[in-house]
Amino acid sequence: MSRSITLGQYLPGESLIHRLNPRMKILALLLFLILLFSLKTYGGLTALFFIALGMIAVAKVPFRYFLRGLKPILYIVVFALIIYLFFTKGGVVLLRIGFITVESEGVREGIFVIARLFTLILFSLLVTLTTTPLSLTYGMSYFLKPLRYFGLPTEEVAMIMAIALRFIPTLMEESQRLMRAQVARGADFETGSIFRKAKSLVPLIVPLFVSAFRRADELALAMEARGYRLGARRTRMYEDLIAPRDWAVLSFILVLFSAALAFGL
Amino acid sequence: MVNRPEIIVEARNLAYHYPGEEATSFPALSGINVAVYRGEYLALIGPNGSGKTTLLKLFNALLVPSDGEVRVEGVSTIDEVEIPRIRRICGMIFQNPDNQLVATTVEEDIAFGLENLALPSAEIRQRVGEVARMLNLEHLLQQPPHLLSGGEKQRVAIAGVLAMQPGCILMDEPTAMLDTASRRDVNDMVRMLRQNHNIAVVHVTHFPEEAAFAERVIVLNQGRLVRQGPPKAVLTDLSLLHSLGLQSTAASELAALLREDGFELPSQLLHNRELVDSLCSLELKS
Amino acid sequence: MFIGTEKLTYTYMSGTPFAATALNEVSFSLGKGEITLIIGPSGSGKSTLIQHLNGLLKPSSGRVYFKGQAIGSDKGELLRLRRRIGLVFQIPEEHFFSETIYDEIAFAPRNLGLAESEVRIRVKDALEKVGLRAEQLQYRHPFQLSAGQKRLVAVASVLSMNPEVLILDEPTAGLDPSHRRNLFALLDNLNRSGGLTVIISTHHLDDVVALAHSVFVLQGGRMVLAGPPSEIFTTREKLYDLGLSLPSVTEIMHSVKEKGLPVKTNIYTLAGARQEINRLKGRPGR
Repeated sequence: MSRSITLGQYLPGESLIHRLNPRMKILALLLFLILLFSLKTYGGLTALFFIALGMIAVAKVPFRYFLRGLKPILYIVVFALIIYLFFTKGGVVLLRIGFITVESEGVREGIFVIARLFTLILFSLLVTLTTTPLSLTYGMSYFLKPLRYFGLPTEEVAMIMAIALRFIPTLMEESQRLMRAQVARGADFETGSIFRKAKSLVPLIVPLFVSAFRRADELALAMEARGYRLGARRTRMYEDLIAPRDWAVLSFILVLFSAALAFGL
Repeated sequence: MVNRPEIIVEARNLAYHYPGEEATSFPALSGINVAVYRGEYLALIGPNGSGKTTLLKLFNALLVPSDGEVRVEGVSTIDEVEIPRIRRICGMIFQNPDNQLVATTVEEDIAFGLENLALPSAEIRQRVGEVARMLNLEHLLQQPPHLLSGGEKQRVAIAGVLAMQPGCILMDEPTAMLDTASRRDVNDMVRMLRQNHNIAVVHVTHFPEEAAFAERVIVLNQGRLVRQGPPKAVLTDLSLLHSLGLQSTAASELAALLREDGFELPSQLLHNRELVDSLCSLELKS
Repeated sequence: MFIGTEKLTYTYMSGTPFAATALNEVSFSLGKGEITLIIGPSGSGKSTLIQHLNGLLKPSSGRVYFKGQAIGSDKGELLRLRRRIGLVFQIPEEHFFSETIYDEIAFAPRNLGLAESEVRIRVKDALEKVGLRAEQLQYRHPFQLSAGQKRLVAVASVLSMNPEVLILDEPTAGLDPSHRRNLFALLDNLNRSGGLTVIISTHHLDDVVALAHSVFVLQGGRMVLAGPPSEIFTTREKLYDLGLSLPSVTEIMHSVKEKGLPVKTNIYTLAGARQEINRLKGRPGR
């Protein structure tokens, strides 16, 4: 049963992109996004789009996974396009229906915005598809570190997120089993008014909470038994090392930045 | 043996009350004097609520004695500073394999305890590799725990404790939720730990067949130690076991019934083989 | 055919890289008023199979039959089916959600749309069937019960639908031996006096084989053995290969026979073994 639940979008692989330090991947993503939003010309955007495609090729992730990731934002794309087509004025009038016009500037801007959105999503998916949720968590917790000076226990937050990732599939499996067990006792979760439906969830939510608390209790005990102590210094199995390849990627991005600046893209 | 066996864990006059339950009928544990020796296999049996799990938690410093003391390699568990060392020496395996695996992959989970010890990364990787080889987990290292079978999960839990190079492993009904094959597997592992690594095992179990393979059995009831001795003596005391709602091995139970019927069977009979051999020798005589 | 399957195949996540076949062309059938055991190691497909029997899962291919009719996928029909085939899940007390035992057991009959007066009768009957006294218990909180009582209440909470078939998935997981025997005695009684058809899925065979009319063995999603207990438990090597073991008493009888004593091996209880060995001696036994 547990096989039916997979978590995150991570696709295992051995490519250069897979092996980059997660911290560096997050930083690179951030830089690419800044670059993306500061680009003004079609030329620059096209160049960046092809760079994204190039990196996807390096990561050896099948392109259909990206298409699948793009699907959910299709509505936003259509909506944005309509707004731009009808409300941005300037250039040549391309179409006139009564008092509504579609002008060339609107088309230009609309396509530009959508292309930017697509590229943005390609870059983000590239990170989530090539990084395990756990590494992502650790990578993000690194950038949260300064918050420690404001009293945020960042190491513990990272541990909490890691445990959540560990238990999401277990709890999903459990809720599925629970739902079947109550259906076997004649429960109906599908028909009836919203009020009835909400009420019918009690037999699911109560046991799920009870079980989650019991698990939390047992897990806390097991962690303590294995020497985990709040605030104590820990090491990690894999050091968080920045390898030469990480520096290489960073310099590559910086070169792109200066090129974009130099050519006024 | 000339040398006196070395004591790993020792409880002296140990008592424990759960907070808020001081007023109830009997304390969770009281008047416990017991020692665990290096490399020994000790089974702990008793009805539900007899204090078995509480005792293990006291050995591992998860609980602090209300009275008396627990010493692990000579160090009292009351000493806060020594707790990391005590937990390294006394590892613990719990009943529910699902709720003791912390990490998102098997290898990270085996590493968890070592990370808590703040060992250098290289050493953690080396030890994880060694333990994985030893317990035949190498092919599973990258798997997330939720895709493992119950038996595999317990194997990972044992690996995580073994990696800390403990002197003693406390097991709280580790086979209760497993099927026959996985149970055999865990029991083989226990044997291996003692023989190859001289690690003491304290095994809380509901299965008389498991207790029968221990070197010593301790019976708890209502927080008191009511009996201890070799399985041959303890597990053949059926009147004691039955009065506590416990059972002995099928061979021992059957032998007792047959003795009532006038069969002359040895009194300390525990394993199938012993029963079968005695029965056969009887038949030959008659 | 009272209830059964024909070439039942079930694949999880079909059409994805994670697809896994849980059941592979499983065909079996059993008669009304029988007690049936479905045994196999964990992961062999037992739970998946029994969840098909009351329509909780839909076959990828093949059919499930009840009273000679194939189970369709019509929603109303499935609802009616689930009332007649009760299913008790593994560790069912973890699914409790009510504040009183009464409400917990009333959940199913209320879902059937019965009047509260009728529900009251159902709850009382169900509690009686599992040997608990309604007046003593029904307004207590389920969490106040002992482990054994909780399990009985969970069984009652399905019996309150008045099913014709009762299916139980590992009904004694986590129970100690005395509660275990109590539950099996109860199921035996419901079967004998009430004509209830009972299906039990388990990997732990002690105390239960003696009740069974027929046994089905699953391995890797396939039905590998089927027949009455006397047939299934005559070949012990085969069961070992499947990662199963014999009931401990049967194991002893096999060993005795191997030593050359002419005993029957289709014996599953201590009392049976006692009688058989006495018979050997030319004594009636007790």
